[in-house]
Amino acid sequence: MGGNQSVPKITAQDWAILDLKLQRDKVKQYQKNLQAILDREEVIAKQHLAAGHKDRALVALRRRKYQQGLLLKTDGQLENLQQLVSTIEFSLVEVSVLHGLKQGNEVLKELHKEMNPESVERLLEETAEAREYQREIDEMLANNLTLDEEDAVQAELRALQADVQAETVSSRDVHLPSAPMNEPVAGPEEEVDRDPARVAVTA
Amino acid sequence: MALSTHTTTTGFLLPSIHSAPPFFTQQPHPASLSIATEQWIQIILKYARHRRLFTVRVEDSEALGNDWDEILRNERINRKLIPSYLSYILAQMVSQNLAVYEPPKQDRSILIYWRLPEEWAEVLYEWVSSSGNLNTIMTFYEITDPPVESPLSGLPIPLLRQAITLLSKSNRAQIIAISEGEGVRFFPTTGKA
Repeated sequence: MGGNQSVPKITAQDWAILDLKLQRDKVKQYQKNLQAILDREEVIAKQHLAAGHKDRALVALRRRKYQQGLLLKTDGQLENLQQLVSTIEFSLVEVSVLHGLKQGNEVLKELHKEMNPESVERLLEETAEAREYQREIDEMLANNLTLDEEDAVQAELRALQADVQAETVSSRDVHLPSAPMNEPVAGPEEEVDRDPARVAVTA
Repeated sequence: MALSTHTTTTGFLLPSIHSAPPFFTQQPHPASLSIATEQWIQIILKYARHRRLFTVRVEDSEALGNDWDEILRNERINRKLIPSYLSYILAQMVSQNLAVYEPPKQDRSILIYWRLPEEWAEVLYEWVSSSGNLNTIMTFYEITDPPVESPLSGLPIPLLRQAITLLSKSNRAQIIAISEGEGVRFFPTTGKA
């Protein structure tokens, strides 16, 4: 909390704005005065009428009318002042916006110096070449593998074929129903079960 | 004698002690004097807050027709606070830092701190930022007499100046002065202050 470094300096425009605002305040106070006078004149007019002085009441009313006109004129001046103050404040904002744009522009230019189109193009070409190279290597490796695999696959196929044939022969033997060992006797459940099986086979 | 509270025409509730005749005389006994003075000070502060009055003068007890009539007089019991007692009460308020002599170096009128200058500084800053007046130049008249009623309407200029000085210490305000008059500019806080 030492010095006033963070507080911006007071510029000439600030003096001007302060001056205008003070003028505006003066006009406002003048308007308040006028309004008070108007109300008072009305009261005076009424008093005169009550006392029977019609001409004096008329004079008071005429004065009041004149001051009403003054009030309207000061309204117009007040509006002028307000407009001027707003315009000045707005143009200050515009100036700071322009300043910001200019700074942004500078920064952009600096960045562009590092990034010119030729070097970017060169970079993209190099990347494309590297990608091509990589693709060729991949293809070569892929072809090699396919040739080797082909021999292995053929060998496997032959082995598998032999296996399958052996299996089908032995499985045929297994699937033949076994010949009965005993005389067909109706008794234990196992023989009963075998009867329908045999009937099915002979059919 | 049954004492009762009384509500004034402006809606301020006077405590029951205000209806007791002895309350309006300066008590000789120190203990009762201090109690009575405390009560008076509380009434004055509350009333000032209620009606947004900032100044009490010894003259207010001498003549009729001012803002403090409802407090300094009690017509129902036909009593009023005499000027010397009021002067004593004012001195007590200043010694308790509840008020200051304003204008300084006299003892007839005080500026009441029913709100401390630090609190006024905060209220001022709040109002300025909520009415969108940060970073713009404002005149003192604009702050004390805005077209729309604000918590700061009618603030006396010395109190406003104190509040602005406090804010400028925390880098939230800056006074700008030219020959014609004075202005002030408020800044948004960066969050550090």
